[in-house]
Amino acid sequence: MSPYRPASSGQASRVDWTFVFAVSGLLTLGSLSMLSAASTTSFYHAILQKHFVAMALGLFLFSLMLAFNYQVFQDQSKFLYALAVIVVVATLVLGKISRGQRSWIHLGGFAFQPAELARTLVILALGDFLDRRWRRAADPSTVFWALAIAAPVMALILKQPDLSTTLTFVPAITAMLYCAGASLFILALVFGYGALTMSVPLIYTILQVRYPGAAAGSWPDVILSTSRLGLSTLAAVGLFAGASALAWRVATWMRLQVKPHVFIFVPLILSGALLSGIAVHKQLKGYQRNRFVAWVAPHTDSQGAAYNVIQSQIAVGSGGLLGKGLFSGTQSQLGFLPERHTDFVFANVGEETGFVGSAAIVGLYMLLLWRIVTAARLARDRFGYLVCVGLAAMLTFQLALNVGMCLGLMPVAGVPLPLVSYGGSSLMITLWSLGIVANIYARRYALL
Amino acid sequence: MNGSSAEAAERLSRLWLVIALVGLALGLRLFQMQIIQGAEYRLAAERNRSQLIHQNAPRGRIYDRHGEALATNAPAFSLIFLPGKSRHRDDLTPLAAELSRQLGQDSAELLERLQEAVREESAVRLAENLPTPTMFRLSELKTVYPGVDLIVEARRYYPHGRFASHLLGYMGKMSPREWRERRSKGYRVDARTGKMGLERLFENELRGRDGGIRMEVDAQGRLKRMLEKIPWEAGSNVHLTLEAATQKAADEGLRASNTGRGAVVAVDPRNGDVLALSSAPDFDPNALLSSDPEEVKDATAALPEYNLAISGTYPPGSTFKPIVGLAVLNEGKASPEESVFCPGFYDGLAARTFLCWEHKGHKRVAWLQGLAKSCDVYFYTMGRRVGGAAIERYAKLFGLGRKVRLDLGGEKAGHMFGPETRKAAGKGWYEGDTLNQAIGQGELLVTPLQMAVATAALANRGSLWRPHYTQKIEYADGRPEFVVKPEKLGLIDAKPESWRLVDEAMQLVVSSGTGGAARVPGLTVAGKTGTAQNPHGDDHAWFIAYASKPGEEPSIAVAVLVEHGQHGSSAAVPIARKVILAHFGMPDPNAPKPRPAVPALLPAPGVPGLPGPARTL
Repeated sequence: MSPYRPASSGQASRVDWTFVFAVSGLLTLGSLSMLSAASTTSFYHAILQKHFVAMALGLFLFSLMLAFNYQVFQDQSKFLYALAVIVVVATLVLGKISRGQRSWIHLGGFAFQPAELARTLVILALGDFLDRRWRRAADPSTVFWALAIAAPVMALILKQPDLSTTLTFVPAITAMLYCAGASLFILALVFGYGALTMSVPLIYTILQVRYPGAAAGSWPDVILSTSRLGLSTLAAVGLFAGASALAWRVATWMRLQVKPHVFIFVPLILSGALLSGIAVHKQLKGYQRNRFVAWVAPHTDSQGAAYNVIQSQIAVGSGGLLGKGLFSGTQSQLGFLPERHTDFVFANVGEETGFVGSAAIVGLYMLLLWRIVTAARLARDRFGYLVCVGLAAMLTFQLALNVGMCLGLMPVAGVPLPLVSYGGSSLMITLWSLGIVANIYARRYALL
Repeated sequence: MNGSSAEAAERLSRLWLVIALVGLALGLRLFQMQIIQGAEYRLAAERNRSQLIHQNAPRGRIYDRHGEALATNAPAFSLIFLPGKSRHRDDLTPLAAELSRQLGQDSAELLERLQEAVREESAVRLAENLPTPTMFRLSELKTVYPGVDLIVEARRYYPHGRFASHLLGYMGKMSPREWRERRSKGYRVDARTGKMGLERLFENELRGRDGGIRMEVDAQGRLKRMLEKIPWEAGSNVHLTLEAATQKAADEGLRASNTGRGAVVAVDPRNGDVLALSSAPDFDPNALLSSDPEEVKDATAALPEYNLAISGTYPPGSTFKPIVGLAVLNEGKASPEESVFCPGFYDGLAARTFLCWEHKGHKRVAWLQGLAKSCDVYFYTMGRRVGGAAIERYAKLFGLGRKVRLDLGGEKAGHMFGPETRKAAGKGWYEGDTLNQAIGQGELLVTPLQMAVATAALANRGSLWRPHYTQKIEYADGRPEFVVKPEKLGLIDAKPESWRLVDEAMQLVVSSGTGGAARVPGLTVAGKTGTAQNPHGDDHAWFIAYASKPGEEPSIAVAVLVEHGQHGSSAAVPIARKVILAHFGMPDPNAPKPRPAVPALLPAPGVPGLPGPARTL
């Protein structure tokens, strides 16, 4: 079994043209809406220049990926992982602070977001790791080690601080673990714990917004008091233990066949999640809390954080079926829509091209994801399969987060819509990653 | 896939299911927002990007009977502020300071209005009717502060200024309560409404439908371009029966009178058209629309509220005598030839002696001289003979002591005086009352308007026209013109001979009596002076008159009252003369030649000096 098969005249036929169509369709729609959305900014020409240069570089990387065997990445996975750690460390050391985040590296006039690169590199490294642990995939240690591989890079990105990019790792890792055959129970436990932890600050925030001046002793105040890590926190932990003990007594009395250690683990997990949730709550930055608020109750402050959410929804909704026409969207052209060529570009598409244009973007994305999943199904090895799964999950998450944000379904997060939003790093890295997918597809029969 | 298992394929399918569900959810949400709720969002986007700049519609014009504009509109510049959609503006304080300097308004108050505009996200009008130099200076601010702009709109303008001010009224801002009542009719909180006179009476007719400009604004509130112009609809035009020249003469005459307080009402005896309705002190309604808030404040503080022509009630004094004289003749209680000896006083009543204003006495006077010379003793004697009830009846026939319902706010009825009124009030009537009643003193109180109407009835010999100042209303909305038809309040049925004699006597008053100053060569002028007793100060001066070209019907009847004017002949008569001259379009010789007085008849022209109603000897 020769791992290498030279690119032959048959290469073209092996390219997934549906996939290429989806990619180029998204690039075209993205460029069109950028031409319109950026037209009112003061750096219009610079933006267009950077966009098309990045697209050219990205397409070059895409073609380059088609030209040689993706399995090189599996062979060099340790090096790739080291590179991922190095670029995020370098970002923290050399990066320039912009909007409170140290997430950019300037390379000869080009600003670059290394986190984008690190994410794909981690997916490649995890693909190699999970491939090698295939036999022991269901082992709890697999989940542990997979998280341990991703954790340093995620922690360094979180340090920038870039919560949104850090979060995009989670679905990729989860999907890869799941598709590698990890124990569903362990995954549910880990991510359930994570979800519980994240829901604690969410609950606090909702309570703070809904009951701003809750009287001492009222139930919102009692719950909020647990966030101060005092006696009431202890009481909450005691409550979990007491409820669990009571449940155990009831279960034994009713002679239910429940394993006894459930009554120890459940209160432990609940208490642990509460404590880590309180820790996260205390770590939340003001703007993050505002974005939560804007998502939970957009009309409490229509000029503050929720302004973006409302304006974006107005933009999308007012587009109607056919839209107002490129360059004619009042929301984007008159400046009501914030970040209209970057994070909120989808709202601009929705406004100017209507349901037809925005559904086309979602549709092309579905086509793209379907082709990635197909590439995974047809991949000639587990590494290719896992990398495709990771990239598909990551792109799905970005799609859901970005479009969901523009449609008011998700809180505001600084996540670009890959291939559509303005952003050189995102565009190039996405095209490079998709080039790997194209390569995996093209080489699907190589081993036969 | 190498090493694939059914398990892996299964898990991949589930992953695809999740991905597809995400796509489906986004697609459904898009459908919901863009197709189902699209119209709502489009409205929101439209509200976002457009600002309506309100423009006051021109009010309907008010014309005099010859089509001369009495109230019209002039273009005026208003300063508006359009806040952007951003709530975080830090340039409001310097803007308020700058505007405060330019407009002379309080900076803190301006800041509050600017902040409110930002909060409400709606345009606010900061100043109106800006003078041109201020406008030019302010137009520079537009470039510095986004949202500040100047618009042109219609502003009420009174070309004659201080003219018929109580009749025309003025425009002013609404009180919060008024606004609450009117907002449903589309009034804006800063709208001005008619506050007095015709402006208030015809508010609904004069008020047009305001228009506006819908401007596209960007997120910072900068005006981008005009989206739509909502045309205003001018109000309906009101044509009055007023004669601008006559009114002007009345206004100027009152202003030049010795006290500057009083009223003139001139009506056309042929149909009740009001030719002039003047009250002094008056005001300039333009001052109340000034852009300088100080000027408006001062003008408002100094505003004379009372329209003395309809709200001022005075005893008619001797101007009542033609009516009593008519009663005497018409009731057949005395022949015109029967004379009375006037020694200067009347002692027909045991209790009191009643004086004649002419202390030396008129000697023998018959009816004609009695009225022409205004001999009190003659009227005491004949009044007693006719009786208080008959005099009261005639006073009522002439519409005295009763509202004519002129529809201008503040009209007073005055007070009727006679045995019947007394009886209705449960009080008795005494012979002494009849004496006072016969010479127009006592409790009889009339307004200048009532006197003008009565004078018109004397002039046209019996027709009591309801006075009206509206000729027609030209509706702006295409409704047919509303034309006012003259309306008779009553008919005084008296013998033609009685009317002729009253006319003759009143002509005598002008040609050779106390009304001499009203004589106009080429015109037949009849009149009667009077003095209204005023226990609180100097007596009020009256003069009623009507005039015609020889051989024609009288075309003007005028009542002049000068408060505290003391002598009708000197204070009131010259005003009536001016009014009559203006009505007939005759030049007024600035220095009127002294009339050849008739010393034998009138040693001191115009000193009626009538005795008080309760004056005892």
